[in-house]
Amino acid sequence: MCSLATLAVVLHFAPAQARSPPDVLVVVQNLDDIQSLDPAEGFELSSVQAFTSLYQRLVQSDPADAGALRPSLASRWERGPDQRSLVFELRAGARFASGNPVRPEDVIFSLARAVKLNRAPVFILNELGWRAENVDRQFNKLDERHLEVRWSADVGVPLALSILSAPVASIIDAKQAEAHISHSDAGNAWLREHSGGSGPFQIRKYIAHEALVLDANPICPGGVPRLRTVILRNVADAAVRRLLLEVGDADVARDLGPDQLAALARKDHLKILRFPSASVHYLLFNAANGVDPVLANPALWQAARWLIDYQELATKLLKGTYEVHQAFLADGFPGALEVTPFHLDVSKARQILEQGGLGQGTHFELDIFNQPPFGEIAQSLQASFARAGIRIDIRPQLASEVYARIRARSEEAAWLYWIPDYFDANSTASAFALNREDGVATLAWRAGWHIPALSAQTEAARAEPDPAKRREMYREIQAEVQRDSPLVIALQERSLLAMRDNVQGYRQGVNADMVYYDQVTK
Amino acid sequence: MPTWSTMTRSRSSLVVTSTTVRGLINLAVTLAVLLTVTFALSRLAPIDPALARVGDHASRSAYLQARQELALDAPWPVQLTRYFGRLVHGDLGVSLSTGLPVAQDLQRVWPSTAELATLAMAVSSILGLGLALIAVRRVGRTSDMLIRFVSLLGNSIPIFWLALIMLFVFYARLQWVGGPGRLDDAYEYTIPMPTRVVLIDAWRSGAPGAFASALSHLVLPVLMLAAYAIGNITRLARAALLQEMHREYVTMARAKGAGELRVLVHHVLPNAGGVILTVLALTYASLLEGAVLIETVFARPGLGRYLTTALFAGDTPAILGATLLIGVCFVVLNGLTDLVVRLMDPRTR
Repeated sequence: MCSLATLAVVLHFAPAQARSPPDVLVVVQNLDDIQSLDPAEGFELSSVQAFTSLYQRLVQSDPADAGALRPSLASRWERGPDQRSLVFELRAGARFASGNPVRPEDVIFSLARAVKLNRAPVFILNELGWRAENVDRQFNKLDERHLEVRWSADVGVPLALSILSAPVASIIDAKQAEAHISHSDAGNAWLREHSGGSGPFQIRKYIAHEALVLDANPICPGGVPRLRTVILRNVADAAVRRLLLEVGDADVARDLGPDQLAALARKDHLKILRFPSASVHYLLFNAANGVDPVLANPALWQAARWLIDYQELATKLLKGTYEVHQAFLADGFPGALEVTPFHLDVSKARQILEQGGLGQGTHFELDIFNQPPFGEIAQSLQASFARAGIRIDIRPQLASEVYARIRARSEEAAWLYWIPDYFDANSTASAFALNREDGVATLAWRAGWHIPALSAQTEAARAEPDPAKRREMYREIQAEVQRDSPLVIALQERSLLAMRDNVQGYRQGVNADMVYYDQVTK
Repeated sequence: MPTWSTMTRSRSSLVVTSTTVRGLINLAVTLAVLLTVTFALSRLAPIDPALARVGDHASRSAYLQARQELALDAPWPVQLTRYFGRLVHGDLGVSLSTGLPVAQDLQRVWPSTAELATLAMAVSSILGLGLALIAVRRVGRTSDMLIRFVSLLGNSIPIFWLALIMLFVFYARLQWVGGPGRLDDAYEYTIPMPTRVVLIDAWRSGAPGAFASALSHLVLPVLMLAAYAIGNITRLARAALLQEMHREYVTMARAKGAGELRVLVHHVLPNAGGVILTVLALTYASLLEGAVLIETVFARPGLGRYLTTALFAGDTPAILGATLLIGVCFVVLNGLTDLVVRLMDPRTR
């Protein structure tokens, strides 16, 4: 301790420059999840958040109104007569950060490349019927600014546009990527650490597990960002993120716990911003493979809806970081069902269980991730289900272990969360309300829920060209899942950020990729 | 006829040669066993590396492609044989969690760990040995008991908790030292870092204030890591010294009129040197493994965090690469210690 004091005194007089520089935004968060910054490959939360800053797509959600698609690299588009094609006009004079012009060839290269690489997010483009063997035939360059995009799947224009607004459909500078091809990888190794896009920022430096440093792109077609640099620093421990923000070495802190946020809310010079998040939490019963006939009993599914203490979970246990939500489309998505018909009612649940022939001694194992807040949620369920005579054995595991068991349909029940892959109701509906019995691992298939009629409804909504009618179809599908299914949706997450009060202009949308730093000032 | 000094030199050179040969064989066998066991354990762990790579939402086709690219379909002995085959060509594979070659990742994280461990080792050696000498000199008295208590405390206080408290007090409240990270934001991503040893790079950058910033950010992590090591060194060195204090040669030295300090420094310390050196080497080796908690709290890159992240991601190439590096450190340090002890102490030859 003496040596600490001595050194501290010496260093106290050293020139200190501890606060974040004025034209640099320092964001502290956990970046350990990043596996790749190639938009055709990266599918982790931090990667997807970065893609919006680094790349543009033909069309993108409006930051002010996530439900509205706006032109981005395309200045306008027209539907083809068959409702299975679109003609895009590229924005005049648009250039990549490298200075290369944005051409139809870049669009074709980027979309075909993502399909052929066949990495994690490719299934989004596969929805259009695009496969490695047919994708080259789906594009037609009409002239230097126009191209036609076709698809073979039974997908309406609204959904096709939503898919083309997903991060995997980001447009890459083909010339730059081709200049960095190594072992026929289409520039994949280079793009894991570098950017080749036209977004408001470009990568200055990426150091895995340490930091992602973004510099402003001075020729961004959508407008030049207001800050020179954004530094995303990996700080794995939430308590340390809080300290960095309090001292002023960070401007924004993400992924803080409820207690830390509550403490920071009382501090001067700091503010807490709340955004709805598309992440919904649900309880899944595995009725497949005859794991346990009790789990396939609809009485258990029904009773579970009345045995979750939604309010206590959202307000007391999770302290406002979640809200009660009981439909699969998160609030903020067009067509989201906002009614919450269920609440904790033990006597009603007992009655349902008795009618379904389930008495005392009913029990099941609940798989959960071994990280907050899943333990707290599971304990709350354990307590409230016990009041109706149902015993829950909690099985905390690593996330990859939980997913492996669910993919193999070997679990009994699990508490999970769902984040849509792109901003369209189909992304979530085709997970919760589609089971073609063909082994495609939708959530309904994993739960062993046999729903031919509902699956047909979901497929019809996917193909529906009229947006208003489509929204109505999704409301009906949600109501069906909410009413009676082995998927009990309970909570929607809120994204809470703490930041210094001089930080202005930060915007965030409901979907995971909708993080916008371009208008931030400080 | 060989002289005495020639005989001593040739005996020393024989010791060096035999120790080196034995060390190399030891290194090869240890690393082979270590890698085989680590590989088997990583395959037995309930983590699917392909799933960890592509995520739960990925299509079956993308998942199967990932399995194929990771060569997971082959039996694990075949996978291990292939790994050894690549290893002899210096190829450690590509990390699943960073997407980069493991060798490149290790080159990035290792210097930071080595810097932190070496500084902590220097501090803990000086303080630990000093405290041990004081404790032995005043054995049974209050100062001895106080030193034993403090060294036990260093080992028993949760380092994660202590580090957070220190950060809170000396960084957040008093603002005497730099906080998490290796440099202030003004320097962190602007000065070139060719060696990845922050003190050297900050010094060579010539940027005003960069070196002080690097030093300021090192104070707390070095002292926290040293606090843990000091406990070990003090207790073990004290025990080794006390054991020597009861030998007959000590009684003889005292009988010949040597003072207590002379007995301790000139007679006891050299004779306990072998044990103390071994303690120091093992402590250094354990520090070189990377201190995951210190690296996490102080947001510093390092081998410990790299390995832990890889373990949670089921990233076998990264796990094996980091294990290999740690194994080499242990074996080389043990070998060097063995050699120095043999050279120092004729009884061990």
